[in-house]
Amino acid sequence: MSAITAEDLSVFVEQLKRLLADRSSEAEVRRLSETPEGYDPAVWKALADLGVTGLIIDEDHGGFGGDAVALELVMEEVGAALLCSPLLSSAILAPALLQALDDDAAKARLLPDLASGAKIATVAITGASAGWIEAHVAVDATAIGADWSLTGKAAFVTHAHIADVLLVVARAPDGVAVFEVDPKAAGVSLTNLPTFDHTLRMSDIDFAKVSARRLACNGSAWQAVEAMLDLALIALAGEQAGGSRRVLEMTVDYAKNRYQFGRAIGSFQAVKHMAADLLMDSESCTSAARHAAQCLASGSDEAPSAISLAAFACADAFSAITATSIQMHGGIAFTWAHPAHLYLRRARADAHLFGSSDFYRERYVQQLGG
Amino acid sequence: MTTQTLTDEALKAEVTAWLADHWKPKAGDQGAGFGLHPHRDFMAKVVEARWAVPTWPMEWYGRALSSAQAKIIEKAFAAVGAPGAGQDRSNLWANTAMAHATPAFKRTIVPALLRGEVGMCLLYSEPGAGSDLAAIRTRADHKGDHYVVNGQKVWTSGAAVADYGMLVARTDWDVPKHKGISFFFLPMKQPGIEVRPLRQITNEAHFNEVFITDAIVPADNMLGPLNNGWGVLQTALAYERSVMGDAARGPRSGQDNPKGDSALVELAREAGRLNDPVIRQEVAQVTAYKVLNRLNNARAKAELAQGNSSPIMSLGKLAMSRILHEEARLRSKLLGAGSLLEGPDHPRAEDANFLSLNAYFTSIGGGTDQIQRNIIGERVLGLPKEPEVDRDMAFRNVRSG
Repeated sequence: MSAITAEDLSVFVEQLKRLLADRSSEAEVRRLSETPEGYDPAVWKALADLGVTGLIIDEDHGGFGGDAVALELVMEEVGAALLCSPLLSSAILAPALLQALDDDAAKARLLPDLASGAKIATVAITGASAGWIEAHVAVDATAIGADWSLTGKAAFVTHAHIADVLLVVARAPDGVAVFEVDPKAAGVSLTNLPTFDHTLRMSDIDFAKVSARRLACNGSAWQAVEAMLDLALIALAGEQAGGSRRVLEMTVDYAKNRYQFGRAIGSFQAVKHMAADLLMDSESCTSAARHAAQCLASGSDEAPSAISLAAFACADAFSAITATSIQMHGGIAFTWAHPAHLYLRRARADAHLFGSSDFYRERYVQQLGG
Repeated sequence: MTTQTLTDEALKAEVTAWLADHWKPKAGDQGAGFGLHPHRDFMAKVVEARWAVPTWPMEWYGRALSSAQAKIIEKAFAAVGAPGAGQDRSNLWANTAMAHATPAFKRTIVPALLRGEVGMCLLYSEPGAGSDLAAIRTRADHKGDHYVVNGQKVWTSGAAVADYGMLVARTDWDVPKHKGISFFFLPMKQPGIEVRPLRQITNEAHFNEVFITDAIVPADNMLGPLNNGWGVLQTALAYERSVMGDAARGPRSGQDNPKGDSALVELAREAGRLNDPVIRQEVAQVTAYKVLNRLNNARAKAELAQGNSSPIMSLGKLAMSRILHEEARLRSKLLGAGSLLEGPDHPRAEDANFLSLNAYFTSIGGGTDQIQRNIIGERVLGLPKEPEVDRDMAFRNVRSG
């Protein structure tokens, strides 16, 4: 259950909307996309002051105790504004994983600084096979006395380039476990990756006998990772829903105002019918994202399948909407200066982080009993 | 009568007690249809007891109740499977007559409609007026106290048993197409009406062609003012859409079909195709279309309940059309060459093939998917209409073919 009331949440979302309109304009998104850091620390501070960085962190650790419903709604705004920030890594992945583990000391040590935005954390999950599944974990952990040593490779790690803390999923002799690593520790080498979505930052990380602290977990640590991924998929679904609606709005607006053959191009059925189909996609995307969030927040048995459904339906909808948007705009959207491609790039990132649509369709069939 | 001040509990008690006294279902009874109502005697009692149209005024068989209280009555009827309640919401014919019939005609037709004593049909579409309904060429010519009707209508369910057809006919040929149409309750049982069943692609005949030759309709049966039939039609269509819901039919073989979200998984398993990764992807995708439509409808309902209009309502028909076509395609694919067969010995093929063809009932009937996309584009997204070359032209000069 969320510690935030519905009324507080809607006020909160309104404030966020204003902040993003002000601080995440298209010009700012383009400016930050070209910086090495890829985000604005002043905006990060503003997001922290508003409570976004601590949204899902429990109140005992300086957060707001927001649930999946709150997160999904916030991410709709983030997606609409194409916000450049390490929100996904530091305010969603890392705290979700810490809260799914059972290491009270680690929570006390890390969560307050993540909630306040003072520190940035990320999670290294998959190896180069990039399936975000247990079999693709490619870092091995060896015990050296009471300490642990990590060796191996993690791929597609988001925002590692600015992280103060790395949480690394690695394979210990007794199974997968989560380790806390200082990114400046000896043996950690980051290769920052050029990304198709310029608003995103990712790195490959090579671990060579890196000293690490194992985080306590009573049950299966991979189940904790899956709980984190569930929340991350809902966050992405929210981002996809918000992005979809914004792109549709932008495209319909253009179709009303662009004249060819003496009439608005939106009056041509060839264009109008594309718009109608996009409305279906965008509304279905919003429904799927919100339903998954509600299921997870209420602890419904339906949550796993609702999350799978949202994972592929929202990814495919945002991809289709951003792609069709470019076609509907015509030549203007083939230019760098037009924002349509920025959304297409974000849609590509969102569709592949944490597993493909095909992967989640397969998981959905399994959840339906197939 | 003090019904208006009844509490919800008292109302519920009253309707429940009344039903216990009067509703005696018989085996083999059928639900409501286009023809005469199978429970006419009971329906008359429902009207007399003022349960049929509780939100209507007292002088019109109602109780002047709120919609919320009317729901209590509908629920009580639904709980025992009794017909006749909720007609203020669902009786297309009675609502249209209430809104537009002359006072004298209203007096006779409305109670008869509520009691299910008269069979009704729709005389809208014509061979030359499908998507472009305002292009109708059936004519009604004024002769003293009546009109003489000539023309041809199509896609008419229940025409053979109907007492009246709700007819749109052209009464002025020298004005633009929307402005010369009038709306009538045409008596169907007269020599000038010939009904021919229309064989469909499913090899069934649920519809008819209606040939009208010098048929007579009293002037008093006109609904709304002369040449204002297009406006009346909009009211009638709105009622029709609100009650049409999901008119699509399921499989017809009679063999049990798996139900619920796992239905396609089960069919794939039965067909021995569940280990095919391509099939698994398609099973997930088609199931997703169904679930997403359900989620969209639930969200639209919640938004409407909060007083917000929702763009989703208009998407339902288009969504259902995709679901039906996609499910039919996948079910045929699961059967492979088995879908070459039909008939009672091949129930899965019979169902898949029937669904493949009957899906067009939804994607063409009641406005094609393409017209539906126009409506969504124009009314929901606010895109401009296509220029209409015949909009301001005297209908006499409009090209047809």
